[in-house]
Amino acid sequence: MIEFRGISKSFGGVVALREVSVSVRRGECHAFMGENGAGKSTLGKILAGIHRPDAGTVVIDGRAVRFASPRDALRAGIGMVPQELAFYPDLTVAENVCVGRYPRRAGFFLDRAAMDRRARTLLERIGSDIDPAARMRVLSTARQQLVQIASALGAGATILVFDEPTSSLSENESRRLRAVIADLKKKDVTILYISHRMEEVFELADRLSVLRDGALVLTTERGATTPDAIVRCMIGRALTASLAVAPTGAAGAELLRVVSLAPGGSAQPVSFTLRAGEILGVAGLVGSGRSELVRALFGLDARASGSVVVGGATLRPHSVRHAKRAGLALVPEDRRREGLALSLSCMHNFSVTSLHTLRRGGLLDRRRERARARAHFDALAIKAPSLDAPVEHLSGGNQQKVVLAKWLACAPRVLLVDEPTRGIDIGAKQAIHTLLSDLARQGLGIIIVSSELPELLALSHRVLVLREGAVVADVPTGAATQESLLRLMAGL
Amino acid sequence: MNIRMIPKKWAMQEGGLLAVIAILCLFLTFASDTIVVQGSAVNNFLRIDNIVPNVLTPVSWMAIMAIGVTCVIISGGIDISVGSIFGCSALSTVAVLQNLPSDASPWVALPLALAVSLGVGGACGMLNGLLIVGLRMHPFIVTLGTMSVLRGIALIAVEAKSLPSLGKALPAAFTSGCISAQMQTGPLAWARLQPVPLLILVFALVAAAVYLTRTPSGRELYAVGGNAEAARFSGLAVGWITARVYMLSGLSAGLAGMISAGYYGSANTATGEGYELAVIAAAVVGGASLSGGSGTALGAVLGALVIKLIENGIDILKSVDLGFVTVVVSKEYSKIIIGFAIIAAVAIDRFSETLKRR
Repeated sequence: MIEFRGISKSFGGVVALREVSVSVRRGECHAFMGENGAGKSTLGKILAGIHRPDAGTVVIDGRAVRFASPRDALRAGIGMVPQELAFYPDLTVAENVCVGRYPRRAGFFLDRAAMDRRARTLLERIGSDIDPAARMRVLSTARQQLVQIASALGAGATILVFDEPTSSLSENESRRLRAVIADLKKKDVTILYISHRMEEVFELADRLSVLRDGALVLTTERGATTPDAIVRCMIGRALTASLAVAPTGAAGAELLRVVSLAPGGSAQPVSFTLRAGEILGVAGLVGSGRSELVRALFGLDARASGSVVVGGATLRPHSVRHAKRAGLALVPEDRRREGLALSLSCMHNFSVTSLHTLRRGGLLDRRRERARARAHFDALAIKAPSLDAPVEHLSGGNQQKVVLAKWLACAPRVLLVDEPTRGIDIGAKQAIHTLLSDLARQGLGIIIVSSELPELLALSHRVLVLREGAVVADVPTGAATQESLLRLMAGL
Repeated sequence: MNIRMIPKKWAMQEGGLLAVIAILCLFLTFASDTIVVQGSAVNNFLRIDNIVPNVLTPVSWMAIMAIGVTCVIISGGIDISVGSIFGCSALSTVAVLQNLPSDASPWVALPLALAVSLGVGGACGMLNGLLIVGLRMHPFIVTLGTMSVLRGIALIAVEAKSLPSLGKALPAAFTSGCISAQMQTGPLAWARLQPVPLLILVFALVAAAVYLTRTPSGRELYAVGGNAEAARFSGLAVGWITARVYMLSGLSAGLAGMISAGYYGSANTATGEGYELAVIAAAVVGGASLSGGSGTALGAVLGALVIKLIENGIDILKSVDLGFVTVVVSKEYSKIIIGFAIIAAVAIDRFSETLKRR
């Protein structure tokens, strides 16, 4: 039996898990469900030794354990198949399966034959005929996943954690994987299945637990519940007061028209329009193509097709500079990787989008630059030790405001924001919400991508729901509830 | 006195380098022998005949190259082909100017020298930039390749291994009339300064400092080096910015090659061989971080001075008496000492970063 006892975990002030106590029986398939950010992945990662809990203990078969690393957890029989697969793309399948446990000859030389044999046996155990000599890189995602399962089993794992295993698989591949997992269960492997896909969970799981905002809200036998009850349980909360920013009044003229825009890699063209003063929410599960859509809109996707019309003028495809000149701005999903140069100063980060407008006689007008940065930082109440302090010293919320500020300095007409409040504290969150609705009131068109349905419902006039890269609904916020959106997102 | 009179960052980085330079000079002065020149006793290090021709003048072209390489490092790249570009530029300058009459007018000789050296350097740098951006290859690989290719071209093109060819010479207006001219009169005549290389260095330093801190395109280098992905998301033309900086590095190596050609009045196929390491070392000692996004022009110049002083010290010191033991210094140790000095400089820099963060 695996028992989580009072597990709490937070990341830089953001609570991911709050005193979660739940137990998983040996040999069962236990599904963990919840919205994006509910904490289900974190729980799985704690069991697999990737994270360490801030408080609470994990008890396996009566013994408290505390894993220092995934390697530690594997030694205790726990393997994980993460959402972002981790493997060595240029090694062979056999080398990946046996990594860290390479069979040797004469205590020193690599025994390739034994390695291939072992890989083949393990892969056969899960009903796969992947060639052990193939390079990992050339395999499909589904097959790479099978190799990871084989690798975990090879290391002696009797407990397997699957984190959203079907999120990047086709329907067929997903069905095959579910068959493999059902088979593993018969072979007495304990399975923790993290997912928000209702049908899979109801097919595979013996029991299921629902997490919400980091807390456990329900654990039940599969037979004792229904998909409807689970959806209600996943949402559960009422709209919090801080989010009740009233959507602004009537929208103005059409600002943005997206015609059959298809991000590279997805065949589903998307069309919609946005009016001045309107906030359009984009909802969808992880992997539904939300971020890909705004990136393609902003010209960042070199393989995208379709056209984007801003204020009557069609954008040159795949050109961020042209999109920017036409009045588009994108606050990206991952501010640390895509939004900021962390080692550079606040002011350098702020000015980077508007350097060309700060020219005076070919040189940078540094006084004006500083004054403008000061004004924008004050307007957004950004707390920074100084304009010259490295931006990495700022809190997440203030960093996010710097990214917003650097784009507002370009005076955009259409603002695209991708997960604007992920991982930031409640105060900054509220400030960003207020700012966004103020901007809309001033006539900007805003597109918000968010995993937080309450945020979308509170801010936007309309919500676009994406599933597997396609628009499945375009509904006015008044006609939508969290429940109806979640159903559309999950395809129930 | 209010400590804030000195900008904080300046005090940390360049101030530290100035201190290192001062300590090095003191050490070399005390450790070197007293020698007798023309009847009077002088310090072997601290004498005009050592400082000017062995440190100040040769540091000028090394520092100019270090400025160019610093720009590349700021943008998150690396350029190890500068030694070969330097060689090609020096050889091309001599090859062209040797055909002028030896009494050619400076109005012909100097613009021609500039045009040839900057043309060759800029073209080589542009080649680097185009290959790196066009083929999306790592700059280390590309410039490793061009380093070898350019050196090979020099070897093939110059059969005699050395220029000017037999019976030819560079016009005096370029060499003794300009680059290697010595101050004979004026209040500084005693210093026997050769001012032109130093003046070019000062010009390059000011130009680079203005470029890096006060122009939009200079600032874009820091943005790309700080986080290329964020720069792309911000709508910067990352490819063009990258290509541009390699051209800049080529231009500075070309200019440096011209100074060397004019100073020595000749160039050979080995000119500039191994310079890339000294130059990159100068840039790194000068505070440029190989992970990109930081570095200054003044730092590059001071870094070059540190490296040159160490080289000079190894040349002039025969033995160092440490009180309890006497260490014999011979030229063979120079690579070892410089290697350790680079590692120590960067280690100290990292250490002070860590301290600052606490």
